[in-house]
Amino acid sequence: MIEYQNLWTRVQVHAPVDPGVPLRGGTWGRDGKPFLFYWAGKIGDAQVGPIYLGTTGVFSLIFGFLAFEIIGLNMWRSVGWDPIQFIRQLPWLSLEPPAPRYGLSLPPLNDGGWWLLAGFFLTLAILLWWVRLYQRTRALGMGSHIVWSFASAIFLYLVLGFIRPIMVGSWSEAVPFGVFPHLDWTASFSIRYGNLFYNPFHMLSIVFLYGSALLFAMHAATVLAASRYGAEREIEQVTDRGTAGERMGLFWRWTMGFNATTESIHRWAFWFATLTTLTGGIGILLTGTAVDNWFLWAQKHGVAPSYPVLYEVKAEQAPYLRGQYYGTSPDSFPGMMRDAAGRLVPQKLPVPQGAQLTGDVEVYNKPVLTSDNMRDSLNADGLFIMSAVYFDTGMDGLRGESEAELANLASLLTKYPQLKLEVQGHTDNAGDPTANLTLSQGRAERVRGMLTTKYGIAAERVTSRGFGQTKPVGSNETPEGRRLNRRVEISSGGKVVLPAETTP
Amino acid sequence: MISRHTVQVTGAVLALAMLSGCKGMPDVIKPGTKQIAQHGYAGVGMETNYDPDDIAKTAAYNQAPKPLPPAPPGPPGQYKNVQVLTNISAAEFGRTMTAMSAWVAGGAGNCAYCHNTANFAADSNKGQPIYTKLVSRMMLRMTRRVNSDYTQHVGGTGVTCYTCHRGQPLPNGLWFYSNENQILRHYLDRDDIRVQTHTIEPTNGNRTAIRQTYNTYALMITQSKALGVNCTYCHNSRAWSSWEQSTPKRVVAYYGAAMLRDVNMNYLNPLQPVYPRSRLGEHGDAPKAQCITCHNGVYKPLYGAKMVKDYPALWGAPGWDAITGPLDATGKPLYDGSPLTTPVPTPMGAKLSDAPTTATAAGVDTAMGTTPAPAMPAGTPVPARTTP
Repeated sequence: MIEYQNLWTRVQVHAPVDPGVPLRGGTWGRDGKPFLFYWAGKIGDAQVGPIYLGTTGVFSLIFGFLAFEIIGLNMWRSVGWDPIQFIRQLPWLSLEPPAPRYGLSLPPLNDGGWWLLAGFFLTLAILLWWVRLYQRTRALGMGSHIVWSFASAIFLYLVLGFIRPIMVGSWSEAVPFGVFPHLDWTASFSIRYGNLFYNPFHMLSIVFLYGSALLFAMHAATVLAASRYGAEREIEQVTDRGTAGERMGLFWRWTMGFNATTESIHRWAFWFATLTTLTGGIGILLTGTAVDNWFLWAQKHGVAPSYPVLYEVKAEQAPYLRGQYYGTSPDSFPGMMRDAAGRLVPQKLPVPQGAQLTGDVEVYNKPVLTSDNMRDSLNADGLFIMSAVYFDTGMDGLRGESEAELANLASLLTKYPQLKLEVQGHTDNAGDPTANLTLSQGRAERVRGMLTTKYGIAAERVTSRGFGQTKPVGSNETPEGRRLNRRVEISSGGKVVLPAETTP
Repeated sequence: MISRHTVQVTGAVLALAMLSGCKGMPDVIKPGTKQIAQHGYAGVGMETNYDPDDIAKTAAYNQAPKPLPPAPPGPPGQYKNVQVLTNISAAEFGRTMTAMSAWVAGGAGNCAYCHNTANFAADSNKGQPIYTKLVSRMMLRMTRRVNSDYTQHVGGTGVTCYTCHRGQPLPNGLWFYSNENQILRHYLDRDDIRVQTHTIEPTNGNRTAIRQTYNTYALMITQSKALGVNCTYCHNSRAWSSWEQSTPKRVVAYYGAAMLRDVNMNYLNPLQPVYPRSRLGEHGDAPKAQCITCHNGVYKPLYGAKMVKDYPALWGAPGWDAITGPLDATGKPLYDGSPLTTPVPTPMGAKLSDAPTTATAAGVDTAMGTTPAPAMPAGTPVPARTTP
């Protein structure tokens, strides 16, 4: 029983070595004296050799070796010909394509020229190897399925390193040679072009890749499971009673309602594997030529969902969120200015378009009350709510953006020397009521402190008081209401009569 | 074999983690508590995970020292050759100096690190300029500048010398020019970090090469490591460049990059002629700062401890977060309301050379304790600032 579940091939093919059928029209002879190798017999045929290289094979190996040497020597040179560092850093060493400034022209050897040469020789080697495989299929009277699958992989290779770089006009778009460098290139390529995840051909390629693995596992396991009935050697039709073929077919029909045939399962595998690189290549080909940002493409076509924005930015706030977001170099800091002393003044930076400014807190550029607004409110109601005074969430520190309105409040107090005011702090009901009371007291005191210390208002003219969450003006159930409740009120203790124009 | 008990406990932990994730970013990450902070809409994976062990490790390094006792009020201007801290009382001045020696020079009382102890006002010792003093003076200007003009980045927390120095003369993460692809030059004079196009179709407006993305990626990773957070602290990783899908933290970081440019371009790089050769990079440039220099692996330096509120000398404005500034002997605020930030002298060293240039070779200090500006070391290459 155990023999059917063995890791190894259970029959060691151990026969006198056989050179195979006579060569037809080969330019070269077969090379190598055939021999039997036990461990090869464990996973396949125990006979190794002879091999047929032919003209194409020989030249393919020569060109491949040239590419290998160019890549390896360039990597070695990049660590100053230090053999230890060459070994240690090998996975990270790279032979990079030419810099973008060279476009499609021929760069100096040390600035991408070696990459071009290595790529040229490697491509030549691969194409010659393909020709060699094609010739052998012909020589053995086989179909050309193998070479078409191989051609699909070569298509992806050529798209990455040759066709697409030419279409976008720069060798720099191609993949570097190197273990991690070519993986890093993949990540960077995806980021540069707005997330390859949303490229539909990339999706297809992944479907076929994973599908290939699934089919491979299903097919191989099915055949091995029925090998006790000689599934791998069976020549009878699947319809014959009791054969391994019938059992295999019935297994899948009973478990998933449909089964491939012994013949069709190989077409499935062939197309899945071949389409992996074919669709992948198409996806790469469209990137940067037809579509430059796959996320935006997916959003336009309803592939990428939109999620609710957690950080509230309202329509009326949008105009404040102006600024240069689009475009690239050199406007990363479009608003960077210099003051009279020649220093950069980034505070004048516009907020990037659409930037989420804060969490549950307002954007810090609400309308600023003038001292006239304040005077009118005090005359009418005896109090008003500060509009543009801001604190950090949960703290009593005044934010710098509060400056303008506080200055207006100070000028009101300066204009009307008899006026006395109380600063009243309020919070919403989030958190602990006692903490909120302390917080509102602290905030009110900060406003008062600013008036007395910075603007020189006499200390006895301004008092401060905190109410915590006890006096809401809006519903604490909605963010809108909570925002209204978090406020600083200024009270004159009842209506006052402040003349519009005071005589100095 | 996983027991039913294990499954239940695991489920409870997961549920708790998910619930706590809904509460948003906590203001203070406390050591020893498991934290998963969610920054985006449910299911998009925008969250930051904090490992209690990591936090315990970084917490030990990121504790703010206790403030020194407050100084009594008094008039400013009792010391000679004071160029930056001109508007604080003598007592506050001395207190600040004591704090600085502990923050920067390895221990309180190590005055000799920056001063000629025979003449504290002097900028030189035995005829040689004391570069540490000259650098400290510029760093005080820088600190005031940051605290006054970069509230969009440092908020009400602010910075002190300790934010970067941590008791050491050299802060962490100092960087120099290395090669033409030096990613950190974004914090000095290089702009092109944006790589994505904002139209579906290719345009001539964005010809950024894939190669550039490597640098941007690396730069972002330095920021991530500096703050001990992952990419989704600021970004929705499905569309890196979209501000609409980013968190507010990204705006803070944006202003932080702008601040670093100011700091590097106007304060750190211009100190190049002052430093001895051993403090310069291989291309002869001055040490410069990056995110980790202040952040030291924590999302808010020192976990947001507001050290600066106790040190009015480092404020860049008359009040800090509406805290009253120092008072004079009569109880009046000492500050007149004008910003405290002093302009950066250009060219560097102009303010260092108040004394007549006829100072003797022996370097006898003048009455004002000043000396000629140090000459740029011969043969020091000055790196080009232009983008190639």
